[in-house]
Amino acid sequence: MVSDTNPHFEDVDAETVDELLEQMVRIRRFEEGVLDEFSEGSVPGFVHLCHGHEASHAGMGVAMQPDDWLAVGGSRLHGQYIVKGVPFDEIMAELFGKATGPNGGKGGSMHLADVDRHLYGHAATIGSGQNPAAGLALAQQMRETGNVVLSTIGDGGTSRGSFHTALVFAAAWNLPVVYIIENNGFAISYSTQQQVGIDSLADYGKPLNIPSYSIDGSDPVAVYETISEAITRAREGGGPTLVESRVTRLRGHFEGDKQAYRTEEEARESNAERDPVTNFQERVIEAGHITAEAYDALVDEIDDEVGAAIQFAKDSPDPAPSTAYEDVLRLPLYGQGEGDA
Amino acid sequence: MAQTQEAAERELTMSRAMVEAVAQEMREDDDVFLMGEDVADYGGIFSSATDLGEEFGHDRVMDVPISETSYIGAGVGAAQAGMRPIVELMFVDFFGVAMDQIYNNMAKNTYMSGGSVNVPMVLTTAVGGTYNDAAQHSQTLYGTFAHLPGMKVVVPSTAYDAKGLMHTAIRDDDPVVYMFHKRLMGLGWMPSPSGPKTDVPEDAYEIPFGEADVKREGSDVTVVTLGLHVHRAMAAADALADDGIDTEVLDLRTLVPLDTDAVLDSVRKTGRLVVVDEDYRSFGVTSEIAALAAEHALDDLEAVQRVAIPDVPIPYARPLEDEVIPGVDDIEAAVRAVRE
Ligand SMILES: Cc1ncc(C[n+]2csc(CCOP(=O)(O)OP(=O)(O)O)c2C)c(N)n1
Ligand SMILES: [Mg+2]
Repeated sequence: MVSDTNPHFEDVDAETVDELLEQMVRIRRFEEGVLDEFSEGSVPGFVHLCHGHEASHAGMGVAMQPDDWLAVGGSRLHGQYIVKGVPFDEIMAELFGKATGPNGGKGGSMHLADVDRHLYGHAATIGSGQNPAAGLALAQQMRETGNVVLSTIGDGGTSRGSFHTALVFAAAWNLPVVYIIENNGFAISYSTQQQVGIDSLADYGKPLNIPSYSIDGSDPVAVYETISEAITRAREGGGPTLVESRVTRLRGHFEGDKQAYRTEEEARESNAERDPVTNFQERVIEAGHITAEAYDALVDEIDDEVGAAIQFAKDSPDPAPSTAYEDVLRLPLYGQGEGDA
Repeated sequence: MAQTQEAAERELTMSRAMVEAVAQEMREDDDVFLMGEDVADYGGIFSSATDLGEEFGHDRVMDVPISETSYIGAGVGAAQAGMRPIVELMFVDFFGVAMDQIYNNMAKNTYMSGGSVNVPMVLTTAVGGTYNDAAQHSQTLYGTFAHLPGMKVVVPSTAYDAKGLMHTAIRDDDPVVYMFHKRLMGLGWMPSPSGPKTDVPEDAYEIPFGEADVKREGSDVTVVTLGLHVHRAMAAADALADDGIDTEVLDLRTLVPLDTDAVLDSVRKTGRLVVVDEDYRSFGVTSEIAALAAEHALDDLEAVQRVAIPDVPIPYARPLEDEVIPGVDDIEAAVRAVRE
């Protein structure tokens, strides 16, 4: 839901507003490119697009330092890769299943992992990744790196027991980790209201005395401010935070989802009123922060980058079939990974 | 079978056939109900529950929170209290998050109670790859489930079998794991090979567990397989027939119980065995069948080959996935190899 105050960008400096806007547009334009390529059949498998989650992703991305970790979760992942600084080329190549993707074509859309950029990849079992995220935070604490871990999850994933075990562990060790629930109201066809009777998913932190917040996740400034505060607390030894970032899923769960479970009216309303990108764009232009021309130029520039990424992915080689046998273990067994199938 | 005249009347996809059995059982028996993620309003991501929510309402077709531990465990409890739950695990790959409920509860309660309780529950789950969904969405894990005692394991490969095996599964007094291959369901967005869509009688009928189906008789080589690879083996057999190689294709249909007689009879006839599985090679279905033949028909056995996923996780990219999932050509090559 978009609150009346969205976006209260007067509270942050102009540079931050620029960054937030740019990240949001980057995510949206990238996803439009993915959608085209998926429709063309160039991207195999499933794609889950981020439409509606852009402000939430941008807010957390801008709040993080490059060395902080992002353990991605939920289903809307591309935008999280983008704000963690993975270049379009690399993400697109992985989506295409090309050798030049960060996972060499072994992972695909849902499983990009980039340890050098401190991006911890997603396991298909949603609601599991919060435990390894606690482990990442434990390592930061033990090694005194000063880095913080952000870990995202969808509303649906919070029903998993393993989400709650992660909170228990993080609270017990007072770990430098920020858990962010991107609540878009749906777990595929199952609405959040059907799932649980509590008012706010942030309340899950209360029994453990974890500082908990529920914010308008389509307001990038609100996300930026709340996550920044949580990161600072974590960095200073104040332990974990739980944030519910309320967003909207503007498209189906995955491309091809006919959404028969959703009324047309509700879907239309979502699109008209809750699109965080349009909303933020209009408000920053209205406020004179950026001119309409400058905004258009930004979009063009990003579109060029998306186009180049698509070209890069198309031009990239397929992974050699023999690479299927590599990486099962760091040290190969039975000659695996030595070209001996 | 009494319904053979009707059998010619209509063709169904595997999804339609499976759902029809569930609907018929639910109409007959109020104790039968269905729980799973996205089964009611969506009808199952792989169309395993199409329109059931509409017919039976949310009291008997229940969408559940994403907590496999809770609802699979609840299925076990409800079954022991007299209900006949059908519980869907969306992808078999997610078994791990609820394996304690499956293996330590569903599969062991009967034995550990000294037979005083039983668990008449069906755990349905989508299996298989070939559509670029990477290592945590593409497994079959046939061997994992068949390995653990205390549950029956069913793998239909056609619409006819899907319906009959589902009736048997629901009426069975023990836990049954019903593993349906996504590629066989007849989904618009994931085209099936020709083969799984078959004539299906309208009336309810059971297919007894532990009866393999000889899909094609042959005298030269026995191919034992299941699920999607039944159809790949049939395609290979067609191609091999052009070269005068007469292949027998056996569809196991149920792994637990296993039709050992059917396997051994065929091996004794041909003396050459190829086992094809869309699961990992080591410690799995292929090893089990090969061991069975070695134990009981060693004298008749000339040669054995296993065709399975080499022991690597299933990769995402098309050329990589194609490399590791056995194709028609791999089956052909193995059949030729055991004849040399
Ligand atoms: C353990 C587990 N169960 C089920 C699924 C299938 N599944 C994938 S995404 C999804 C819905 C997730 O909803 P939510 O967490 O709210 O994230 P969103 O898709 O809304 O971003 C489900 C049920 C899964 N991936 N893992
Ligand atoms: Mg959601």
